[in-house]
Amino acid sequence: MSYVCLWSPSWPTGADFPADLAASLLGVAPHVAIGERSLVWGDARGLHGGHLADAMLRVASDYGFDDARAGVALTPIAAEVAAVHSAIEADVPFIMVKPGSDASFIAPRKLAVLSPPEHIAALLQGLGIETCGALGSLDAESIEVRLGVEGVRLWQRARAEDDRWLFRSLPRPLPNASLEWVEYGLKDPERLLFVINSLAGTVCTSLVQRGERAREMALVFALGNRTQRTHLIRSSRPSAEQKRWMRLVREALDTITLPDAVMGVTLRVESVTGNEGAQGDLFDRGFASAPAVEDAIVQLTDDQGDVVVAPNNSRHPLLEMRTTWRRRESADVPTAGAKQRDLDLKLTLQLLPTPKTVTVDTQPRRDHVVPTRYLDNNEWHDIVETAGPDRVSGGHWAGSYSREYFRCVREDGMMVWLFRNPQQQATDWFLHGWWD
Amino acid sequence: MSRSSIAALRALIEQRFPDATPLTGGSQTTEQVATGIGALDKILPNGGLPRARLAVWAPQGGATAILRAACHSVVAGGERAAWIDGDNTLAGEFWSQDPGGLYLIRPKSRIHAMRAADELLRSGGFSLLVLAGTEPQGTETVRLTRAAREGGTALVSVGTAASMASLRLTSRLLRWRWRRTPFGDPADAVDVNVRVDARAIGVNAHAVFPIPVSHHELRLSLESELADRRGLPR
Repeated sequence: MSYVCLWSPSWPTGADFPADLAASLLGVAPHVAIGERSLVWGDARGLHGGHLADAMLRVASDYGFDDARAGVALTPIAAEVAAVHSAIEADVPFIMVKPGSDASFIAPRKLAVLSPPEHIAALLQGLGIETCGALGSLDAESIEVRLGVEGVRLWQRARAEDDRWLFRSLPRPLPNASLEWVEYGLKDPERLLFVINSLAGTVCTSLVQRGERAREMALVFALGNRTQRTHLIRSSRPSAEQKRWMRLVREALDTITLPDAVMGVTLRVESVTGNEGAQGDLFDRGFASAPAVEDAIVQLTDDQGDVVVAPNNSRHPLLEMRTTWRRRESADVPTAGAKQRDLDLKLTLQLLPTPKTVTVDTQPRRDHVVPTRYLDNNEWHDIVETAGPDRVSGGHWAGSYSREYFRCVREDGMMVWLFRNPQQQATDWFLHGWWD
Repeated sequence: MSRSSIAALRALIEQRFPDATPLTGGSQTTEQVATGIGALDKILPNGGLPRARLAVWAPQGGATAILRAACHSVVAGGERAAWIDGDNTLAGEFWSQDPGGLYLIRPKSRIHAMRAADELLRSGGFSLLVLAGTEPQGTETVRLTRAAREGGTALVSVGTAASMASLRLTSRLLRWRWRRTPFGDPADAVDVNVRVDARAIGVNAHAVFPIPVSHHELRLSLESELADRRGLPR
């Protein structure tokens, strides 16, 4: 049984409804809600409906409502009809609707038990539809076309299709802590830090108790000029650690300039996440150190910005334009050993962030010239083998480029990547990278 | 040196330094991080890069390729590795977009690189950390060496300052093998032989092995005057 509906004929007037009845009912029911027409709802999900109804009736009786009746059913509408109509008529304390028979329980009842809107009730009466069963047997399309949305809702209730959400869970207020003083104003950041450290301790303890981690906190300063300054502090990784938040607060205080002395500080959590942990194999050597790695990555990100990165590569003709670096989310700190790779031993190209101008000596080779040596850092490097030119051009609509690349092996064995722009002066050569 | 000479030397040392504890094994007892390259592991003390120690590898000569392979080997073994690209020269084209347990850090400055190295080493979550493109100096080296010892990480600095290193490595590219054009000119480098020299206390060895050469897809246009808009957004 899911719902218990408690009702007394004297409650709809509202005059006799005791304000603390709901609080007393919470002693026997896990959730209690006061609905329309002073219907009192008890949550019987996972409980024996009959026992709960009996207990709720006894509580009502303690308040002097001996005429209270209860209905127990899988759907709210069936429980309501049972309490408000059937139990009164049968003169029994409560009626339990057999599970699965809610629709048939309602069917013989007059439409009035569903409390239809007046204009729809008149319309249905004119059509000769008097019982819930008669209304429920009609098809949904005809009801929707003729009676609109309200008619469909009534039709659903007549079929005991009631998905009302009676027991809403109220969001808990997020943790916060504040301290105010009136006799003096604080300007010294160190003393402010002392106060905020205490507040952060309270807030973080509360977060730990709730099993949550804060993603963002607001630091609110009440100033002597009766204004408030709010600064948002965001951690790159949700955390309930006082130490981490204090580090972020300290960094924020270094940059904050307040126009007046501080008369109070509030630290409140703005958004939280749950304590979801990474899943993995306990025997995996990398899994055990995952939290430590995660902490280190978060600390790096907080301190230096997006420095832990992974590439996003495109197919741009210019190699230096192919990659954009994206921040590697600390959330995807993996358990190492997830993939087995083949030995990835390859000499790859290392790129200078900006191509470096070098002086190059060349010699002709068939229809082109190839470098024979180049001057870099006041040192000449002889070239023993040269592959190229590899010609790349494009971007004629936005920053055109045209390059002739040469892969040159130096005398010391290193292979460097030189290029020149054939459209500009032939003497302009650049060192773009090397293989390593 | 004969066996009797060694015994005499041992007796002399025991007499002169009675409180000295014999270094049973020295580098032999140090845990190692295997690079995954058989020829190289054979010459390294105890078969790999020393954990909780500093190793210094002279730049270029294939150091990047070998150390990156070592990082992948570490990840494949169920552990983590980190690469600090101090001078931002790593081309994204050759770095996996889904690197798994291999972390790439591109710091904004040299100081940031040192701080990042210190932070990652102390975390204790990394088996191998490669510090490339920038070099610790003086007290920074001391600090990083201590952090490596605390975290049990094999720290490899790609540089030349090897005064505090327990292992010194140099490498040199020896001979390139090319695919040639019909004219006999070099067209594509296939592989290159690399010689790695390892020096540590009691170790002076070298290995020579080939490394394949990776080429990016250079999108050529036959005429440098022609526009090449392939791959660009329309």
